[in-house]
Amino acid sequence: MNPSAQPNPETSSADQTTPSAREARYSEFVSLLARHDQSIRRFARSLLPSGQGVDDVMQETALECWKKYESFTPETAEDAAEEFIRWACVIARYKVLSWQRDRGRDRLVFREGVIEQLAQTAMRDLSQRERERNAIEACLKELEDRERRLVLSVHAPGESVAKIAEETGIKVRRLYSKVNALRKRLADCVQLRLLEEG
Amino acid sequence: MDDHLRNLIFQALDQTISDDDFERLQDALEQHEDVRIEYLRSVGLYESLTEIAAESDELVDRDRSTREAPAQGTSAPTRGVGLDDPAAWGWQRWAIAASILLLASGAAYWFGRINDPSDPIAVDLRPQQVVQPEQVDEPAESLLAGHATLSRSVDLRWSNGSVMYREGDVLPNGRLRFDAGVAEIDFFCGATLIVDGPAELDVESDWSVRVIRGRLRASVPPAARGFIVKAADSEIIDLGTEFAVEVSPDRARVEVIDGEVELRGGRNHGDHLVTGQRQWLKGSQSDSESLEGLSTVRDLQRRREDAQAQQFQQWKTHSQQLSEDPRLIAYYPIAQSQSDRFIPNRAATGSQRDGILVGPVTPADGRFGPASTGLEFDRPGARVRTRIDGEFAAFTFACWVRIDSLEHRYNSLFMGDGYENGEPHWQIHEDGRMMFSIMVDDTPGSGLGPAEDARLHRIYYTDPIWDVSKSGKWLHLAAVYDPQGRQVNQFVNGEQVSSEPIVDQFHVQTLRIGTAEIGNWGQPLRDSPWFAVRNLNGAIDELAIFDVALTPHDIQSLYEQGKPLGY
Repeated sequence: MNPSAQPNPETSSADQTTPSAREARYSEFVSLLARHDQSIRRFARSLLPSGQGVDDVMQETALECWKKYESFTPETAEDAAEEFIRWACVIARYKVLSWQRDRGRDRLVFREGVIEQLAQTAMRDLSQRERERNAIEACLKELEDRERRLVLSVHAPGESVAKIAEETGIKVRRLYSKVNALRKRLADCVQLRLLEEG
Repeated sequence: MDDHLRNLIFQALDQTISDDDFERLQDALEQHEDVRIEYLRSVGLYESLTEIAAESDELVDRDRSTREAPAQGTSAPTRGVGLDDPAAWGWQRWAIAASILLLASGAAYWFGRINDPSDPIAVDLRPQQVVQPEQVDEPAESLLAGHATLSRSVDLRWSNGSVMYREGDVLPNGRLRFDAGVAEIDFFCGATLIVDGPAELDVESDWSVRVIRGRLRASVPPAARGFIVKAADSEIIDLGTEFAVEVSPDRARVEVIDGEVELRGGRNHGDHLVTGQRQWLKGSQSDSESLEGLSTVRDLQRRREDAQAQQFQQWKTHSQQLSEDPRLIAYYPIAQSQSDRFIPNRAATGSQRDGILVGPVTPADGRFGPASTGLEFDRPGARVRTRIDGEFAAFTFACWVRIDSLEHRYNSLFMGDGYENGEPHWQIHEDGRMMFSIMVDDTPGSGLGPAEDARLHRIYYTDPIWDVSKSGKWLHLAAVYDPQGRQVNQFVNGEQVSSEPIVDQFHVQTLRIGTAEIGNWGQPLRDSPWFAVRNLNGAIDELAIFDVALTPHDIQSLYEQGKPLGY
């Protein structure tokens, strides 16, 4: 450690000889993280069924990735993106496990065996997110307006089926089956589109 | 993908799934690749829908305004569904967020640790330690505040209103006040004080102490050279090995027993004193008698041994009386054990219930010092096995234990082998909570936990009763299972630390033990060579099991009669 190093985290990563080299390394990291954040987030989210803890896990993952960034050395520049996601997801999986051990006392927590299996499966198509997202947008367009609004409103921040049921006077059970039917249609549509795209 | 499973997935993501269904879903996820794929797709769908909904505020607002009649809305939210390029926007947002996060959380991470001004260790942490990668994976290092240890004492009587310490306690900075007795205080720099009461001291740091009142002898080995004793207006700086100090309200003096000291401040500023020389720091100089009668390390040791022997003797008498208590299921007063092969059951229930030493159990000093015996279980194979057949109406477990560390997730005190119906498990969780439990229904699948073959039992926890500051100290622990009174009570050093009712679902009327172990868990899985590592890293020197629920008063008296010197 250079004893005269600045106390700013971005300037104190070990092995960075000049400030400008450190800065370059930092912006490289930020841009990789920024570009792939959503994929990593999706990965973490899939291991946390209630969605609780995703923000914590992401924050810890991002921090850890930067701390270990030195050890991230992709073979070629072309591989960097793909390798970065995989590398970050390994860290994220570990963070999910430790988050659950520390704070995951609520009911919807996967046992570790499930997390391991899911993580393995999820690792296979980490870069699917963009394609999937495009397919979902296309499929949403195929829905009728009110269907689209219904399905989106239950996913809007702060909304839930129960809340919307209360506000609209539609019975929860009926609303659920409506929303779930829409979700199934969307899911099938997405799968079809992805298959067609090959 | 069948609809049922899909619905389970949606319910899990909506958080409306039942416990049983969640278990079913987990099983399916664990066993079937296609379920995992479907689950991951659904998470993707959920997340994308959430993103799209969040990004299209427009839609949400409009939707809210038409919420009253959701079925009638016909205007198409064409662009509102977030079909513009969210990636670009997300990218920028993240570039900013990420850099703020790195700065802010890095700083917060450390500020969380360094903003305690009373902690001299942490204050020196430089912010650049933020990035030393090897620090990240480790759990936060545990810190203790203090400058010295009360290593030994005899007949110490703490003054009214002053903090009381026990042998082995770490002393923080601040006042020590006792009216009688002798205390040996080891400073972390290596200096040792033998203080005769009555005395009042101010522990200032690893390297200095102020004497307000009292007589003491300071031994300062080379490693601690520079240790300062403050008395009256002066500082006595040690340059040699041993000196004595006496301070009363109107007088203060110092005498060098061996070596050299330098005086700083006060009326003798700059003086050096060598072996045999003495100096008044305050008050009359007429009396030049030497400081006599001050306790030495040897005196302390001798007095301590005497007191300890006396206490041990008293306990033996109590122990003899206790062994005649007809309510005992078994009683192992290990402290007076002679054999290195087994520990006799001293209760009337007889030698059938003796404990057999298995594996690397090692004899150690008991709580009355070298004259008494404890058994150490600090290696995984170490155990004392016993067999206690029969049925019981209640349980009281009481033991004297020294815990060096809680190095396993569960650390055994006393465990029934197979943990079958009515059998007890008494252990300490890694976080310091004492746990007492009885198996209610050992039929696989009857349990409430996530495991498929979980069995029904109930663990009664205390709040944490142990942390690293108690390492190596003797504790009296007790757990009382009272089926009739429907209560589980737990105790530390005679004081009740928890009380919990036994609800119907977990009510067990007939208690059993069978084969069981002290300090370890024998054969949790009978048909497998594997065993959970739960040996106690520490020692036990007395264990009693009663077929009755002892009262808090009874437990208090067990503690009082069995407590060692310095308690």
